[in-house]
Parts: sequence; C-alpha cells; structure tokens
Amino acid sequence: MVRETLEEIKKELAGVEAIEASYAEKGYHLAIAIDKGSLIKVVEYFDRKGFYLEDLLCVDYVEYLELVYFFNTYHTLCRVKVALKLEPEKPSAPTISHIYTIAHWYEREIHEFFGVYFEGHPYLIYLFLHDGIDFYPLRKNKIPVSEEAKGLLNSFKPEEEEDSFLVNLGPQHPSTHGVLRVVLKMDGEYIVHADPVLGYLHRMQEKMAENRNYSQFLPNPARIDYPGALLLNLAHVAAVEKLCGIEVPERAQYVRTITCELNRIASHLLWLGAFPADLGALTPFLYAFDDRENILDILEAITGSRLTYCYFRFGGLYNDVDDNFIEGTKRFIKRMRERLLMYEKFVTKNVIFINRVTGIGILKPEVARKYGCTGPTIRGSGILYDIRKVEPYAAYNRIDFRIPGGETGDCMDRYMVRMAEMEICLNIIEEAVKNLPSGPYKTDKVPKKLKPPQGDLFHAVESSRGEAGVYIVSDGSDVPYRMRWRVPSYSNLMTFPYLSQGLLIADAIAVLGSYDIVVPEIDR
Amino acid sequence: MERLTDIIALVGEETVRAIAGLIGVLIVVVVNAILLTWAERKVAGHMQRRIGPKEVGPYGLIQPFADTFKLLAKELLVPKDVAKPLYHLAPILIFIPVLVSFIVIPFDAQLQVKDINMGILVILAFSSLSVFSILIAGWGSHNKYSLIGAVRSVAQNIAYEIPLLLSLLAVIFMANSFSLKDIVEAQKGLWFVFYQPIAFLIFFVAGVAETNRTPFDLPEAESELVAGFHTEYSSMQFALFFLAEYTNIFIVSAIATTFFLGGYSGPVLPGIIWFFVKTYGLVFVILWFRWTFPRVRFDQLLNFSWKILIPLSFINLLVTGGILKI
Repeated sequence: MVRETLEEIKKELAGVEAIEASYAEKGYHLAIAIDKGSLIKVVEYFDRKGFYLEDLLCVDYVEYLELVYFFNTYHTLCRVKVALKLEPEKPSAPTISHIYTIAHWYEREIHEFFGVYFEGHPYLIYLFLHDGIDFYPLRKNKIPVSEEAKGLLNSFKPEEEEDSFLVNLGPQHPSTHGVLRVVLKMDGEYIVHADPVLGYLHRMQEKMAENRNYSQFLPNPARIDYPGALLLNLAHVAAVEKLCGIEVPERAQYVRTITCELNRIASHLLWLGAFPADLGALTPFLYAFDDRENILDILEAITGSRLTYCYFRFGGLYNDVDDNFIEGTKRFIKRMRERLLMYEKFVTKNVIFINRVTGIGILKPEVARKYGCTGPTIRGSGILYDIRKVEPYAAYNRIDFRIPGGETGDCMDRYMVRMAEMEICLNIIEEAVKNLPSGPYKTDKVPKKLKPPQGDLFHAVESSRGEAGVYIVSDGSDVPYRMRWRVPSYSNLMTFPYLSQGLLIADAIAVLGSYDIVVPEIDR
Repeated sequence: MERLTDIIALVGEETVRAIAGLIGVLIVVVVNAILLTWAERKVAGHMQRRIGPKEVGPYGLIQPFADTFKLLAKELLVPKDVAKPLYHLAPILIFIPVLVSFIVIPFDAQLQVKDINMGILVILAFSSLSVFSILIAGWGSHNKYSLIGAVRSVAQNIAYEIPLLLSLLAVIFMANSFSLKDIVEAQKGLWFVFYQPIAFLIFFVAGVAETNRTPFDLPEAESELVAGFHTEYSSMQFALFFLAEYTNIFIVSAIATTFFLGGYSGPVLPGIIWFFVKTYGLVFVILWFRWTFPRVRFDQLLNFSWKILIPLSFINLLVTGGILKI
C-alpha cells in the first residue's frame, strides 16, 4: 500500500525533489524538499489525495530556517515530510491556512516563536505569548522582535456588536478543565462565534528540551499531558531509542503496554467523571475517581508516583514489575468489567443524558481531516485511525484488539467510543499479562551519556486523546537540537469554534467536554 | 394566666395568633433550612460513596450551624458596578413569599397560623413573586452570567407555573374548596394521589422546576453560568438565597403532601409527625434527583412544559371535571 502511494506521489509531483527515507530510522517514508513557489501546489495535491496535516513546525538551522510539514493519511500509514527552506533574515512563507484549517494555529505559533511571517494569513496574532517577549524564543540566535510584530502584542480585542454580547468562558471556569479561555460571542443563549484563547499554561516545553540532555527531559512529558503521563513518557523514550538504535527487551515492551493501557483507562475515567459533570450530573465523578484510585494504587507501587509518572527509561524500565502488580491488575480487570456495566446502566442509558448528547456537535470526517483531528474524536466520526494499529509500538502488534468507531460523529459517539475503548484496554491488558515473557526488564547496553547520531526523526504514539508525536532533530550532541511535540488536544480543540457555531451555550459545554481536552498539553 | 387573657383581650386574639405564628414560622424556616443543608450533604455523600460531614457534632449535625455562623461573620462584598438598591433588595425580597406561604400550610388539624378560604391562591400568588427577586438579582448584579441565569429563571418559572396550577386545580375540583384544611379533610377516605396520579406527577415535576433544582437547575447551572443569578452575592446575602431555596423545596413538598398525600392525616401517630414524615419523604426524593440526573437543556426544558405537561394537565383537568359532573 505504502509503496504504491509513494510511487504515485513521486510520479504526480514531477519536478519536485522527493527522496525516499528509511522509515525504520526516520519515522517517515518520504522527504520532499520544495521552494516557496511550489508549496501551495504540493499542499493542494496532498489535500486532494485525502492526507491530513499531521504537524507543521519550524527548525532554526542558523543558516536557514526550515518549515516542516508532515502529512499522513487516515487509512494507511504514509507519512510525508515536506521541507521548505527560508531565509533567516525576514523569513516569510505563503500561508496554507485556506487549505488546512488547523494551519491557522500552527502558523500563528511559528510566527511568535520564530518570527516567520505568513503571507495571506487572515489573523496572524499571538497564540500563546499575548504579552510577548522581545526576542523570538525558539531561534538559536537572539533575534529581536520587529516593530511590526510588536504591534500585534495584545491585539486580541474582541468587540461586541449591536445584537450580541461577549461571555468569557474561563480561564477560571468550572467546565474548561484547567485554564482554557474561550471568548463566546452570544446572541441570547446562542453562540455566534467562539474564540479560544490559549497560553495561560504555556511553559515552553520545547525550549526546555533544548537546554537539557535526553534523560534530563524524561520527567517533562508527564507535565505536558498529565492524565496520560505514561503515554507521553513512552513517546519520548521510544523516539530516543529509535534515534540511538537501542534494542528494548521483550518483557519491557509488554510491561510498557500494560502500564500504558492502565494509564489510558485512568485518563478515560477522569474524562468519564468530568463529562457528565459538565452536563450537571455530579455523582459519576466520584464513582469514576473511585475506580481511578485503584489504577493509581497499582501504578504507584511500581512507578513511585501517582500522577506524573516517569517510569520508562531508554532501553527498558525503571524497575521490574512484581507479583503484586500482576495480581492487582488482574483484580482490577475483574472489578472494572463490572463497573463498566454499571456505568452503562446509570449514565449511558439515562434519558436526560441521551437527549443532551445525541446529535450535538456533529464532526464530519471531511471536516475532521481539515483540522487534523485524531483519537477518539475522529473515531467517533467513523474514521478508524489508531496509531497503535497502523504504526504499532511496544507490544501492540503481538496483541489482537479491535478499534471501536461511531457513525455520526456527535458527542454520543465520542462518548461511546471512549467507553468501548476502556473495555478494549482491559482486554489488551489481560492478554499482555497472560503472555508476559520473563527475562531482563532493561538492556544494560545504554551509555550513560546518550549521543544520538545526526539526523531527525518523527515518532508517534496513540495517547488517550489521539496522536501524540515527537519530532527530534539531533546534531550529534547529548542535547536535542530541536524537539517538537505534536499534541492531539491542539487540533481537536480547534474544531470547537466550528462545531459550537449556532449552538446553545449548554450544548457547547457538552461539545467541549466530549473532546476530553487537556490544556497543559495544548499550551505546552 | 389572668393577665395573659387580659392581654389577649386587649390586642385581640388575631394579633396574638399572628405574632406567635410569625415566630413559629421563622423558627421552622430556619431550622428546616439548616437541617436540609445537612441532609443534602449527607444524602449526596452516601450517594457518592462517601460519608459526608461527620466531624462537627454527632453525625456532623452541628456542621450547618457552623457554616451559618461562618457566613454571618463574612464580609458583605459588593461588586463595583452593581445597581445598589436592586442588588440589596433581591435577597430580602426572595425571602418574603417564602414566609407568607407558611401561614396557610396546615401542619396539624389545629396547627395552622390562619386558615384562609383561598389558601392555595395565597401560596401560588406569592411564590410567583420569587421570580421577581431572581430577576432583580440577575439584573442588579451587573454580571452576564447572572443576567442569563435570571432570564432563564423567568422563562422557566412562567412555563412551569401553568401545569403546576392546572394540576392543583384538579384536586380543588374534587375537594370543592381552596382552603388547604378542607382539602386535607376531604382526603379522610382515600388520598387524592390515588384519584389523581397524573396530577401528582405533573405537580411534582413542575414543583422541582419551580424550585430550580436538578434536573431543572438551569438558572444556576454551574458548568455553564458559574453560579447563575447569585454569582455576585456573598456572605449572608448568599445565605438568604440558599435559605429560600431550601425553604422552597420544603413548601413544594408540603403542598404535595397536603394536596395528594392526605396532609396531616394518618393512624396512631399525631398529625404533625405524619405531616413531616410525608413532607421530608418528598424532600428526600428531590435531593435524590439532584445527585442522580444530569441537567436538561433550556429548549428541552421549555418543550417539556409547553408540549407535554401543559396539554397533559389540561386533559387531566377536563377528565376530572367531566367525571365530577356526571
């Protein structure tokens, strides 16, 4: 499949320099180098072919800036890297936001961090740094912010019109799950326009990564996505292992799978508590937390922490699992199966709940692609795309599991997908525990100071919210030259303005709850 | 004793009864509200697999008193741009209809402040006034969440007052009287809930909506409007809204008891105990609702009233009237 697609791309994009990359080393299949003039043509081609924009990032190589566009498809794994070189002096590139809507935000982000001007972007204001700083933080040399760009500071000034008024949803609001702020332009109870304002939890994790070596960065991913800490921990560890060519023992792979799935259930349970609470039912929250507590106890015993885990190490694990862990996990599976039946009875079949979420916030597959949505959000729309299946990591290719999907893509479908996913996670854990091989839990061939060879790599895992990817550029030293995090909530949240248009405020809250967004992940 | 009769003779029996009644009502209102906050927290606790308050006093019974004193001791925070007269008027105004309603409720055969022959009309007329105070609170707060909450509240109360009234009217037809005492007396044989099950359900649903409780707590939907119409209130003003809410729950349950469950009538035990047992039974159901159901949406709420409850209560009324005529 991949072969054919690659041949087709190469043929149809004649005149563009396309080099096949070694997928095992790089994590992408094809690298295309283009110039400014052919960018729109190439992007339009990928749009026509049904690719989604996986990531858009920038790397500062001092002599030049490189814009990197990652494209991927939902049906087969075919990751294409499109690179565009820019002048370091007054860099500018044409916008692709009219083709892929998600590029709106990616381009705003690059604009404030690198100073790249996107020609034709309709709304090129600050995304995270509203007050701004006087240099571009991710540039390697200290480049002062131009006067022109400084004029954009604090330029987010929504205005009321005659028939509408503004309501601030957040940053301190019970249903924004953290510090997200959404400025709603309302016409009575109906939403005319929603504008998410990000950056209240921005910590510049990507810059932090450039200032510490690979193992020093180990605890950070857990702070990016706190409910699914292990999953992002794995993304980082596995990416570096791939970069350095470190072999991981089979037992470690299985334990990684088990703990990741436990963490995924814990994350989904947190959502299961919060989602009905958004709809006004407060009791499921306490029940879900009761179950979650069981997982936290199991994971605490082996990892040492309860929320921001840092359990995986390059080449294995921090420590081996014991019989208590195995027994505890088995007990939990038994208990959780019964509890899932209870949730189905009390939440899923509640008439008020059904009426509140059915037919609300319908996300069509074609729209989801434009926004680059991933995870349960698109699986609810019927796109059965799961990194665990298409690009297996850890021990997922040794375990058979199915991917649940919805049909209409409304809030109910997203809810059902997550509920089904929890059940499937239990099956995965059960099988992995049954087949858990003995042997070493880490390799001892990992050097103290990791110095990966020069090059770049993209690695993605399926976090509980969707595709979480990490793109690492190594210059051969022990510190990453550039580390970029592609986070699922970012693209999922961006559909909110689209989906909430014309909805009642209560429905918009339901839509926001159905994404399961994690704000620290969006803000990084 | 002689002197007491003298005083009564001097000021008139009516006045003494009114003053004693007022004191009694105030005590009942405050104790009831305090008990209900405790009950709500206990019920919520046990429904959510936890214990609820237990540290202050036996079973945490002193906890609501401690909370009340804490609220009393807190500073009255008045936001800058509020419309001062309205802002301060609203919490007081919400409390008056609540007090008036108590005058006509028969707690026992003899225990009633005043048996007015238009008793139920007094309650309904005054309880509609609470909408005003919510609207005033929302308008005066100079806060968008408060305003949306207040507007929702008005729409909701208007929609649900009609089925509430129509369902009670069916009972009034049967008892042939507006006096609450007569209605209780008319149920000596069989409670009206067995004659009028549909009216009872309609009344109870509409009553829950009138008291702004889950699943109809839209005016204070915390995930949408922070705290709704009382977002900007603090200290004792906030406590007054709370007090009014819990007293309203009691009144709705008390009316349901009086109209459908035979009021104070019951075997063996004294009437007042029967009255409170039945009333608090219904109160428990309302608390139970809150910790079980999600919130309905605004349009669903209005549709439910206008498209289902109101036609249904009209049909119920017609059938009742028809049968009584025959």
